[in-house]
Amino acid sequence: MKRTVPLMIVMVGGILMMVQYFIPHQYSQVIFNNYLEWAPIVGAFALILGVGSLTRLHTHKIRRKAQNWQYSWAVLIPLFGMPLFALIIPQSLGGGSDVHGVHDFLFMHIQVPIQSTMFSLLAFYIASAAFRAFRAKSALATILLLAAVIVMLGQVPIGDVLGKWLPNTGLWILRYPNLAAKRAIMLGVGFGMLATNLKIIFGVERNWLGGAGK
Amino acid sequence: MSAVNIWEKMLNVDRRWIFLGIGIVSIVPFLIGFGMPISTTIEVEGIFNFVNELGPDDAIFIGFDFAPGTQAENMPMAVAVMRHAFHNHTSVFMTAYVPLGKGMAVSALDYVTNPKTDGYYERVLYEDWVDYREAGITNKEDLTTAWESDGNVLPEGAVGWVFEGRDYVLLGYLPLFHLVILGMTGSIETQFPVDYHGNPIGDMPILMEHKSLRDVDLAVTTSGSSACVAWITYGREKIGLPIAFGVTGVMATDYFPYIQSGQIVGQMGGLRGAAEYEVLLKENGITRTTDKAFTGMDVQSAAHIFIILLIVMGNIAFFAGGFHKQTRLKGRR
Repeated sequence: MKRTVPLMIVMVGGILMMVQYFIPHQYSQVIFNNYLEWAPIVGAFALILGVGSLTRLHTHKIRRKAQNWQYSWAVLIPLFGMPLFALIIPQSLGGGSDVHGVHDFLFMHIQVPIQSTMFSLLAFYIASAAFRAFRAKSALATILLLAAVIVMLGQVPIGDVLGKWLPNTGLWILRYPNLAAKRAIMLGVGFGMLATNLKIIFGVERNWLGGAGK
Repeated sequence: MSAVNIWEKMLNVDRRWIFLGIGIVSIVPFLIGFGMPISTTIEVEGIFNFVNELGPDDAIFIGFDFAPGTQAENMPMAVAVMRHAFHNHTSVFMTAYVPLGKGMAVSALDYVTNPKTDGYYERVLYEDWVDYREAGITNKEDLTTAWESDGNVLPEGAVGWVFEGRDYVLLGYLPLFHLVILGMTGSIETQFPVDYHGNPIGDMPILMEHKSLRDVDLAVTTSGSSACVAWITYGREKIGLPIAFGVTGVMATDYFPYIQSGQIVGQMGGLRGAAEYEVLLKENGITRTTDKAFTGMDVQSAAHIFIILLIVMGNIAFFAGGFHKQTRLKGRR
């Protein structure tokens, strides 16, 4: 039962939505509209489940004083603090949608700088990695290295200053060899997704059940 | 000290020196400002020309489909397109594919309507022009005339008025946004009954003129993830909605196939793409000056040169030291 019911739901739902896309009939549209209403509701329940699991995991860590348990507070406090300031506490104190209050302050002065800083660190690590790992060890590696240097220079204004051929060659690499390779990868991924989806819909692929009913 | 040891020492240089170097080349150009010229590409010109053709009867979507992590690249793109649309009196819908994108949309709007911004737009909130709506004045030209004839004067430095609910609406974020795009192909109001501030959008002139994505002329998605593809899958392929991408530099290479296939009208790739749009705005007299992306390009020039120098030095040390003959390097990395 634990396996059959989910498999049936996936099969019926999958086939229905697949067929629906190609039928421009009124009834088909009704099914589609119902799906659009239902899916976010199901998604909202999944969100509750996710928040619940996360809270349980971290409260257990704090209770048991597991390794690095202090960081669990860093998860739990913002997890409940931000919605509290945005929704529950009155807007004059907590902020909310159109009053610049605590919620906006936390977002603009903590979350935004933290995320920007994390992403900025990439530049430092890329520079270090390029110095240590980018080697012309073989013919293919040399081609890769040359292409990277040309594209890097072509993408910045100094490339124009050094010579018009640099940005032109950089753009040529992006528009032709890069495009061909990307298209091949995208087609491969697309066919792979199609095959996997069909396998899931028809019950051939059952790993997503996570061993339920065994 | 033998020659080999020098090369080995060079290869094993403490990476904090490299970090320091990147730090210096990232800060110094901001202080000096070389202002090197930037040439434009057809990928960005495609978006610019498309938006430039639009007028007061048209509308665009700007998707703030990025989190603060990539705002240095994505934000200038969204700001540039927004200013272009406001200049042409084209209506702008603002949405977010990710929860934090809503905050980014608010920041972008705040920037474009901030008196400290060169060539800013003076914002008129929805509740401030209720009398004009009730009197049936919703046409941009008539609205501006009526608004100014009632004694409202455009502040010094401002280049125009933007009326909330007529020139723009901030719709914000909804979960499962790909389904929201699908839903908006039928009706925008069913997906967003109220805007970010809780105003019912069904009463807004912008919604009365553009009820669904079928009535919208372009969706520009500024994205730091593959979220942008959802606009093609559910907007472009279902109803033929023209799409433009504004993506980060590392993602830009992934989406060239969509340009060649004609599925997107153009693409702004990274800070360079945003800077090109700013240059086009200035060259066409839409803004007086370029903005943050153009300034940032000097930093990128310096950083790229520095990284290339590191690669060259690393290779010289690697080959001159004879390490290419060894299987692995000794010492601390």
